[in-house]
Amino acid sequence: MIWVETIINGVLYGGLYGLLGVGLALIVGVMRVVNLSHGEFIVLSAFIGVSLIGVVPWLHPLALLLPVAAIAFVLGFGLQAVLINRVVTRPDPFAAILLTFGVAVVVRNLMVEVYGADPRHLQAGQLAQASAGIGGLHIGVLPLLILALSVALFTALQLLLTRTRFGRIVRATADHRDVVRLMGVNPGRVYNLVMGLSLALASVAGMLLAIRASFTPYSGVERLLIAFEVVVLGGLGTFWGAMLGGITLGVAELVGLRLDPNAGPLYAHLLFLVGVLLRPSGLFRVRA
Amino acid sequence: MTRDRHAYRAWAIAALGVLALAAAPWVIGEGAQRFLSEAMLMLAMAQMWNLLAGYAGLVSMGQQVFVGLGAYCLFFASISLKVAPFWVLPLAPLLCAAVAAIVALFMFRLREAYFAIGTWVFSEVVSLLVSKTERLGGERGIGLPTARLVDPRWLEPLTFWLSAAIAVASVFGTYALLRSRVGLGLMTVRDNEVAAAGIGVDVWRNRFIAFVVAAAGCGLAGAVNFTATLYVAPGFAFDPNWVVAMMIIVIIGGIGTLEGPILGVIIYFALREALTVVFGLSAGWYLIGLGLVAIAAILFEPDGLWPLVRGRLGGDWLSVRREPPAPLRMTAAAPAAADAATSSPRGLGATRE
Amino acid sequence: MTLLEVQALDAFYGDFQALFGVTLHVEAGETVALIGANGAGKTTFLKCLVGLIGSRRGEIRFGGEPIGGQPAERISRLGLSLVPEGRLLFPSLTVEENLLMGALNRRPGSWNLARVYELFPVLHERRRQWPDALSGGQQHMVAIGRALMSNPKLLLCDEISLGLAPLVIDQIYASLGRIRDEGASIVLVEQDVKRAAGAADRVYCLLKGRVTLHGSARGLGLEQLSRAYFGT
Repeated sequence: MIWVETIINGVLYGGLYGLLGVGLALIVGVMRVVNLSHGEFIVLSAFIGVSLIGVVPWLHPLALLLPVAAIAFVLGFGLQAVLINRVVTRPDPFAAILLTFGVAVVVRNLMVEVYGADPRHLQAGQLAQASAGIGGLHIGVLPLLILALSVALFTALQLLLTRTRFGRIVRATADHRDVVRLMGVNPGRVYNLVMGLSLALASVAGMLLAIRASFTPYSGVERLLIAFEVVVLGGLGTFWGAMLGGITLGVAELVGLRLDPNAGPLYAHLLFLVGVLLRPSGLFRVRA
Repeated sequence: MTRDRHAYRAWAIAALGVLALAAAPWVIGEGAQRFLSEAMLMLAMAQMWNLLAGYAGLVSMGQQVFVGLGAYCLFFASISLKVAPFWVLPLAPLLCAAVAAIVALFMFRLREAYFAIGTWVFSEVVSLLVSKTERLGGERGIGLPTARLVDPRWLEPLTFWLSAAIAVASVFGTYALLRSRVGLGLMTVRDNEVAAAGIGVDVWRNRFIAFVVAAAGCGLAGAVNFTATLYVAPGFAFDPNWVVAMMIIVIIGGIGTLEGPILGVIIYFALREALTVVFGLSAGWYLIGLGLVAIAAILFEPDGLWPLVRGRLGGDWLSVRREPPAPLRMTAAAPAAADAATSSPRGLGATRE
Repeated sequence: MTLLEVQALDAFYGDFQALFGVTLHVEAGETVALIGANGAGKTTFLKCLVGLIGSRRGEIRFGGEPIGGQPAERISRLGLSLVPEGRLLFPSLTVEENLLMGALNRRPGSWNLARVYELFPVLHERRRQWPDALSGGQQHMVAIGRALMSNPKLLLCDEISLGLAPLVIDQIYASLGRIRDEGASIVLVEQDVKRAAGAADRVYCLLKGRVTLHGSARGLGLEQLSRAYFGT
């Protein structure tokens, strides 16, 4: 029974991991850039949430998801417009890696200076403790809510990219960034919007994660690694693959913690290394 | 002829430098020795990272794993064998080279950013495993009681000389490596991978050698660094800030040049002293400053600052370019190889046209 | 009325100069063929017109407005549309989505989805498929349709017969007649001299980045053309 519960909790947790990775998968798929500051912005959104709670303490953290996502969108848009667009057209792929790494160093240490290095936590009140008993299993209400929200966001993203004019433009820009210019599209502007969207998704994941576990300004590294593992395991640039990758990692981590309470993310990392060893192109490759 | 004169000058400066380093412990105080040791070990690590990213096309974000492994290897061997730490120092680079050789077998299946993060994940895994191993002190870390076997008056000077030797070896060892067939192959690949494979350069083998050498170098530097602190813990040994420092130094100084990391280290430590000692800023603000400088360098001076400095000084210093011997031109491989050897170093700067 | 006027155009790739003082004009309603061997600079010339090559010198006027220094995304809105060499369709978009990309700049005119499907009925049948499931000729039709969706005043076609069976080429060239009837001018870039000269009013020949011959398509002899083409 305890193992069934562990695996169900792993799936619920994994939806959140999928959400951590999907923003990165979007960036990799559209502009072939790995944003090494992705993790830092995930943590930064949680800190922004903490600050907003300080202003309006009577609000539930879940009500802050939308304003925090809006702020993250603006940050992503600005990051892309001011910095990354300047290197994204260089044929050298390392320029973008190193640039976003520099951004990560700056953002991380700004958080240390502004918020201090102590662990923080977002309080979800009674919702965090509530659980539903289904057939003798105890499943938390909050994890269920989080998984539902993740699935809803994945579906929305999928619809946005496949059914709308904006989605068409994004996919076309990913295919041929020069040809869309002949249709009056400025690829840089598309990138700005996509980076905004990527960080908005990341911020939702960051807030939800901050409700489940504590975080410090240094948590970004761990978040980035998980996001990246999700992207690679899921197969590059495929969104439902990212969801499956996230769930796989979530189950691996919780099963690992059940076996060994001090393991941390060790088993998720090991699963990733084994996965890469066996299938460098991803475990869940499906056509986008 | 100017090239010969510059080479001569470089060697003369190097010889004077070695003499100065040998004499330094009698002249400068312990604090200064410790500071210089740290800087020279950092130079060695940065030079190794430069060999990978600037010449072999491998951006490793997990290079700290070898710093930590080197340190733990030295501590474990010295404590187990009950000998002074300096005697088991050679084990550190050997272990790191062996680990790197095994890791390369599967990490080399990943390219570019995937390699970067793959090595990083590997480093995290090793760090987590070490913090779970009680024999290595777990998360708390272990001290180095065997340091007492060394005469305390000689501990600091020995560390200083070792650091100096490692720094000098990292620069001239990389120089020698790059002037060898391996280096020529690496630079050919850097300039055009497809063409290099076409003329028979074994891309995988050259990268493998560079990766193993860089791991050994970082392991050696890490071992000496933690001998000086007499204490090692996973949080310090496998700290990603090691690779942050290596990267920033190389980017600021100039990626894909041997002089770049030297200039980078000087700027890195000068900035650190200026910001934290003179202006009294916290470590956080200092890292923010460094990050901003690195971002500016990538945007505006992708070749780093060394080309600007070289412009002022004039001439070649530690250039690894070489004139191909005349008969070589007869073979099919020679023209492409010669092109690679004489074209300007690539790395980040390749994209400026 | 002169629609396109190019004066002394030079173009560069880094240190390499690809075009030397190209002068050319296209009148409204006219079809002009630009012929030349591989590497003569034909594609470079078209890329200069649409703004994809930043390193250019000389004057380009379109509808009287100088467009020499403008970026591609501005130029496209003025009514200059390119059918690129190798088609360059968007593989992640369906046939219909590819066509809709052409309509993004919302220029008014007679071309729309229904009219393109009327011109190429096979595309209507295959509108929900991915472009790589289509034959080469059908892919060319998508590329032409995509360019038409922006209702261009001037349609630039880069090697639209390359790699196609003669029967399919006939079909594509027949559609060019209908496009012209709707009022668009056309620049045809071709290696197939006879085919291009047959469909055009006037012919320009490029050799190593220079115009070596131009004149009425009817008035040029085969021998004269081949000398300009091969430079013998």
